[in-house]
Amino acid sequence: MRYDSITDVIGDTPLVRISPAVHGLRNIDLYAKLEMLNPFGSVKDRAAWSMTRPKLATAVERGDAIVELSSGNTAKALAVIAGMHGLPFKSVTNRMKVPEIKDLLLLLGAEIEELPGQSECLDPSNTDDPLTRIHRMLSEAESGYLHTDQYYSPLNLEAHLAGTGPEILRDLDGRAPDYIIACVGTAGSSTGVATVLRAANPGIEVVGLVADKSDFIPGIRNIDEVHEVGLFDPATYDSIETVTADHAIDGLLTLVRRCGLLAGPTGGGAYHGAVRHLRALDEGLTERRTAVFIVCDRVESYLSYIRKRRPELLNQPPRQNSVATLTEAELAEVTALDVDAARKWIAEDRPLVIDLRGPFAYAALRIEDSINIVDELFDELLYGGLPFGKKQPVLLACPVGEKSVRYAALLTRMGHPDVRSLAGGIIGWRDAGAPLVRD
Amino acid sequence: MRSSPLYLEPRLEPRLRSVLESADFLHTLVDALGSPLNVVLPEQIAANVARFRAVYQRHHLSGGIFFAHKANRSSALVRQLTVTEAGIDVASLGELQHALGAGFTPDRILATGPKNPEFRWLAARTGVTVGVDSRAELLELAVLVGKYGLPRVRVLLRLSGFEAPGVTVLSRPSRFGSPVGEVAGLLEAVERHRDAVELIGVAYHLDTVGVAEKAVALETCVRVMDECRRRGLRPQVIDIGGGFGVNYLADAGQWERYTSELTSAVLGRRPALTWQGHGYGLRAEAGTLRGALGLYPAHRPIAAEAYLDELLASPAPSLGRPLATLLLENLYDLHIEPGRALVDQCGVALAKVLEVRHTPGGDCLVRVEMNARDVSLEEHGVLMDPIVIPRGGGRPSGTDPVAVYLIGNLCLEADLITRRLVHLPALPSPGDLLAFANTAGYFMDFSADHALHQPIARKVAAYRENGSWRWRLDTQYWPDFATGEQQ
Repeated sequence: MRYDSITDVIGDTPLVRISPAVHGLRNIDLYAKLEMLNPFGSVKDRAAWSMTRPKLATAVERGDAIVELSSGNTAKALAVIAGMHGLPFKSVTNRMKVPEIKDLLLLLGAEIEELPGQSECLDPSNTDDPLTRIHRMLSEAESGYLHTDQYYSPLNLEAHLAGTGPEILRDLDGRAPDYIIACVGTAGSSTGVATVLRAANPGIEVVGLVADKSDFIPGIRNIDEVHEVGLFDPATYDSIETVTADHAIDGLLTLVRRCGLLAGPTGGGAYHGAVRHLRALDEGLTERRTAVFIVCDRVESYLSYIRKRRPELLNQPPRQNSVATLTEAELAEVTALDVDAARKWIAEDRPLVIDLRGPFAYAALRIEDSINIVDELFDELLYGGLPFGKKQPVLLACPVGEKSVRYAALLTRMGHPDVRSLAGGIIGWRDAGAPLVRD
Repeated sequence: MRSSPLYLEPRLEPRLRSVLESADFLHTLVDALGSPLNVVLPEQIAANVARFRAVYQRHHLSGGIFFAHKANRSSALVRQLTVTEAGIDVASLGELQHALGAGFTPDRILATGPKNPEFRWLAARTGVTVGVDSRAELLELAVLVGKYGLPRVRVLLRLSGFEAPGVTVLSRPSRFGSPVGEVAGLLEAVERHRDAVELIGVAYHLDTVGVAEKAVALETCVRVMDECRRRGLRPQVIDIGGGFGVNYLADAGQWERYTSELTSAVLGRRPALTWQGHGYGLRAEAGTLRGALGLYPAHRPIAAEAYLDELLASPAPSLGRPLATLLLENLYDLHIEPGRALVDQCGVALAKVLEVRHTPGGDCLVRVEMNARDVSLEEHGVLMDPIVIPRGGGRPSGTDPVAVYLIGNLCLEADLITRRLVHLPALPSPGDLLAFANTAGYFMDFSADHALHQPIARKVAAYRENGSWRWRLDTQYWPDFATGEQQ
């Protein structure tokens, strides 16, 4: 397949059947619409291209910056499109909650502005929230911005009315499914798809999924937040159901481990919500039915999200030479020197003094002739073995003498005969009036 | 068919719960001293100091915990604080006099905020540490020291206008502090006036619940401290101000349900929950919700000392190390100035029910002997139900849940103690008390005034002695009178 531009690759995503051996539904064929296979990685590629395409020529002529309120996939797709056309892209966001996405946006050349947190000393009479101010700025004529406005733009919806919806219909041989299940973010994809499919099959049941209020699932809004979305119309959905972050990760696990679909949490949430909803109906069915859910994006950007919520899924085997495995007895064996004894030892035997603090702190003030190996780097070094000879006596120093005891115990376990710890650390050293130097 | 009540029940710890269960005690107090009446619990503030200190210990950090006095004018709380390890942050001449009079020695007092010449003079004269807002203020201090031959004044430089690396973190502009971009000029002034001021550190206070903004500010302070060291100055303190927050509500589910229903009400999908359809900042435009919810996040699972813990565990935006580690390994002390969080669970505002009335429109109004300034929950956007304490210690006369508006004692349409319908388990009767729990931080006396010659609430300090509650007028409470827990 040959294309002139990567944007021509957007859309026409596959519809893949989920094996009944995985979902366990006897009377329902469940299909996944793989929006994650769009070129920039998500369903938002369609909306981003649809919202910018008609306005690009003017924007290029005027040198406008593209701007959007997004902390995720829309920003990613817009950053790529802006870059391709030589335009700056600015993303204004409440909080970038997924660090990988933030770094990726910076890599793509996006400018990110994070809105301030809520005021602690609240002034309820001040209704001029930061978002309102930004909207006002963007809506000024000649503002120098192309504001794509994903939560309100009919072009967002149009992408799915013209693309996603008809594609599903085509791939099911013109027969609309009986159920469609989608997570609600901007409501663009769910509304667009539901509108097309409902026209073909008025009896279709549309399930919108929102995040539990106490939870955060990237790309899904909670039941209150959906009301802030201009494209959201409750009449689109036959029911609105809630999924939690745990549900989304459970669904994601099934998709990545058993279905070969490397889906992110939104896709996982949609799968979980779909199976949960359909299982209740399955037993009562007497004829075959078809259901479709939407897989919005890929898993790779969410590893830190998963690590935070389900660390056991990313468990590493315990490392050798790790301070985490030390026993109380090993710690008790360590020779800890108070400041006077340490100064005497330094003068007499000239041990290697290793300062385990960060380089910034080391550069600011340190014990003379000490060297700096920051604790996290020291960890890595010890994983491989002793980074100095056993004949070399060593004095370890950290802020308060807590970490240095642990590393001294570890080095002793690794066979070093003369490692000591500075009791009370650099703070104790300072408080005792011992000299600290800087360049 | 009634919809089930939308309660927002306050979070009560044992000490506050115990005093609220002492109905006779509270009724006797209000009978004697009038309504409204504020009750503070000095013993609780000592417990709150200990919770913050435990976070310091977990991170091996040193430094001072300074109560932001402006949260409550009580003498009892301040006097009780003098027998803990905490210090006090004062922001006016009156607060400084009050702290000195309560027994705080100058080494435990920080004078911050905008200052008039008298406040600055007394601060310099008594030798308290001064949070300096600008270069001009630094010069004025130096003049005072020279003119009266005072000892060197210990100063903290308050900074503002922090900028983040990588991603722009927008912050509300602050009216206070010196722009961090102009710190060189400020430090030159410190050096020039070395004989008059001793730089002990730098400070910031950001009015936000956002950890990211504070992480940027704290890291910037570490860099400024390094610049100080480079110049041969030896500051040791970074003061991160307050804003640790309080978790007001007992139940996350109630808060989430309430805010969802409020959203529905604003969109017109359920009967109104507020007086005249007030939206707390939300409004409906063509079926879509616009605006921002102007409410304090009353259910905050991470608040007070837990919020400090979270901040300290966050990585420094550019140096990468956790903020606590960064402070520790650079050998800096951490000062904090909690207000609201230190008086969490420290008091209750009481009001007597005067009248229960039903309007022709079907609303139920409960009029109390107090006005909206006496318990300024609404003014601060905190939604939290009062507790009904029936007269005579019995059960309330009503038996079914009700939804009522609480109205005050001013002849003023706007004097609504709540602009929302408050759901109560039973209709109160005249003579019952409404107890607004956990109001010691900012809601008790911050806004109260004498409009219409109505009385300002008297304040009493309640404490346990021999297993029962005792009280003194706030002005009559000194720590040594009470025996028991705080000793």
